Amino acid sequence: MNSLIVFTVVDIALLIAGLALYLWIVGTQLTRIATNLEECNELVQAIKGNAESIEGNLEHINRTGGVVAGALPLLYGMAEGIVVGATYDAEKVPDRGPALPASGRRRSRLHDGVGYLPDGPVKSAHAPLADHVESA
Amino acid sequence: MVFALTESQESLWQIANWAGLAVVVAVAALLTILVLLVRTIDRRVIEIKATLTEAKANTADAALLDTTAAGLDLVLAEGLEHHLFLGRVLKKVRS
Repeated sequence: MNSLIVFTVVDIALLIAGLALYLWIVGTQLTRIATNLEECNELVQAIKGNAESIEGNLEHINRTGGVVAGALPLLYGMAEGIVVGATYDAEKVPDRGPALPASGRRRSRLHDGVGYLPDGPVKSAHAPLADHVESA
Repeated sequence: MVFALTESQESLWQIANWAGLAVVVAVAALLTILVLLVRTIDRRVIEIKATLTEAKANTADAALLDTTAAGLDLVLAEGLEHHLFLGRVLKKVRS
């Protein structure tokens, strides 16, 4: 009889203790999960705030980029027209033959370069050197 | 005060006690499963938090799209200037 009572009390105590222990463990875990989920909520709000500007700006960029891309061929065409109009056209230039010197053979100026004046400074076709002027 | 129980009553009590112990064991097993599942949830919530942190860092530069859009507007304005300039030059070259 007494053993049955003790057994019953132990049984009930085990049940209560087990339930309390698991309740405490699960409660702790759920508290931690709740904290993490709150932080996740804040992160999601921040991501939403960051992403709100993406759609409008992307539409703007796509629209403007489309205008730029559509206008570039026009600019190419105009640039090509300018190049064609300004480029040297060999067919339009008349054939003038090879270029010839204007007045026969030119006089060598090597002697003048070294200061040698065979005809004297007076008869020279060019201005005399500075030392010749001083000596004269 | 003395409680007098018959043999069958004691036997039934005994059975009830063992059944209660079995229930305790079953509850413990089920609660263990519950704790393990909650721990899995906790681990995955931590992974989700890490992923969201990375996503936040990745989208933090999305504000630069505003600057990019403004820059592209400047490109468009410059392209219009080029269009006007090339138009003038083309007229002179053709004339």
